[in-house]
Amino acid sequence: MSTTTAALHPPHKAFSLGRISAIARNTLLELVRLKVFYFLLIFALVLIGSSAFMIQFSFQEQFQVLKDVSLGAMTIFTWLLSVLATAMLLPKDIEDRTLYTILAKPVPRFEYLIGKLLGVLILLLISTLIMAALFSVVLYARQEIVIAEAMRGAGEADPEQISAMIRDIKATTFTWSLLPGIIAIYLKAALFAALTLLISTFATSWIFTIVTSVAVYFIGHIQSVAREYWLADQGGSVLTKMFLAIVALLFPDLQLFNLVDDIVAGNAIATLLFLKTVGLGMIYIAVYLFLAYFVFLKKEL
Amino acid sequence: MSTPAIAIHHLTKVYPIPFRREKVTAVHDLSLTVEPGQVYGLLGPNGSGKSTTMKIVLGLVPATSGSTEIFGRDSTLVESREEVGFLPENPYFYKYLTGEETLLFYGRLCGIPKNVLRDRARELLKLVGLENAADRRLGGYSKGMLQRIGLAQALIQEPRLLVLDEPTAGVDPAGSREIRDLILNFKSRGITILLCSHLLGQVQEICDRVGILHRGRLVREGKLEELISIENQTQLILENASPQLLKKIEADLAAEGARLVEASKPQTTLERFFLEVTK
Repeated sequence: MSTTTAALHPPHKAFSLGRISAIARNTLLELVRLKVFYFLLIFALVLIGSSAFMIQFSFQEQFQVLKDVSLGAMTIFTWLLSVLATAMLLPKDIEDRTLYTILAKPVPRFEYLIGKLLGVLILLLISTLIMAALFSVVLYARQEIVIAEAMRGAGEADPEQISAMIRDIKATTFTWSLLPGIIAIYLKAALFAALTLLISTFATSWIFTIVTSVAVYFIGHIQSVAREYWLADQGGSVLTKMFLAIVALLFPDLQLFNLVDDIVAGNAIATLLFLKTVGLGMIYIAVYLFLAYFVFLKKEL
Repeated sequence: MSTPAIAIHHLTKVYPIPFRREKVTAVHDLSLTVEPGQVYGLLGPNGSGKSTTMKIVLGLVPATSGSTEIFGRDSTLVESREEVGFLPENPYFYKYLTGEETLLFYGRLCGIPKNVLRDRARELLKLVGLENAADRRLGGYSKGMLQRIGLAQALIQEPRLLVLDEPTAGVDPAGSREIRDLILNFKSRGITILLCSHLLGQVQEICDRVGILHRGRLVREGKLEELISIENQTQLILENASPQLLKKIEADLAAEGARLVEASKPQTTLERFFLEVTK
């Protein structure tokens, strides 16, 4: 053999970023070659469509609606993408027996899981960035249209008034709060990727994984209401209290990741609230990943 | 004495049946050793525990009791897999990767440095006869080509042990022969091979030693030629026999216009033997 034997037998590392990146790159490539980015076209259509029907509103309302629709669509699309892309990864590898060939190499199971999740997270990051870029382009175009219309309407007005008006329009269009809002959307999708991966470690089919993940999404959105109800209604039965306690403890409080309403209303996002949201998202991801590893370690393949 | 390539000690695997109290014993107190350089055939009907045994050896499934070692290392340890290449039954691999990309992927999993990996991948593609299909996606590969790329990925880190589960399943006779020749090539390079196959004729051609599993138990094990000899008959090859004896035999044969070169005990086929012990 021409290649040296020593180079083919590097000393084993208990943890290797090289192996994780190989699995992550492969997962990303798999998803890209499955043409999942086509859904971005639908997102673009939603944006352009919503932008076309808002001539009758005032410029503040126009930007509010555009932000509401765009950020709402971004939330739904990234969430859907995270669930659908993650749900099939593990079952497919098991069904095709590619998992056997991977784990028969010196690859620890936690590296496999981290690599798979990382691949999805990179995909979600690229998708979120593309959607944010599309959103910015549409928002900028709308801003320019509104400014042009305002200029036409202003006629012979005082130049200072006109520049104040343009400043007003620009201040309403791009606000700093958009950035934490988009990061929160990404984190929510990332959280769901980790959760879906966890479910897929014990699920018997990918349909079960998707259905369970979707159920968690809805429960997660109403769980804060449930908790408030539980805390307020001390007179409820023991069973109700137990059920609500389990819901509150097991499911993520997704309302905490919902910064979009404040952004649309034009409110600034407090730094502390944003940092708390980021911290909470990362804790959820870490916990789900750890649980997924725990289940996967015991899994009989 | 050299360290065995595979050592299995009193291995038992019990699977619980969900929602029931019953349990299924897939492997029962199995002990066997595969020496380095051997081609060992693990045979058995469906459900006899072959695949479970293979998976335990590869650390994919934990044992209920007993232990398995690969070149002296506990096979539950991830690092024991440095010495193993595995080709599962009917593998699909990633259809969206080309032949070369597939080998590069598995090479990265083994931590092979970039500067040698590409050469190694090309070397293996040539070895398995796929150098012309290196840039084609696996989705367009035939069954035989998939098995060959599977063998190449198993060999990427130059392991000392190959575990092959039905390597010729679903492959046409010509492809099957190519794979058999590759296995013989690996054998000549000193690679130990654990082979699971239903194609008993092929096992007979390739294997030095076989073990037959039936209902989770090892019912027979030993050197192939010893196992398939017929007990109450003897094979004689006469070369330096006494002149009197030869004269007598030759005289008898000459009358018929023939010559005695060998008097041999007929052998049964491995297939017949296998069916008999797993009846």
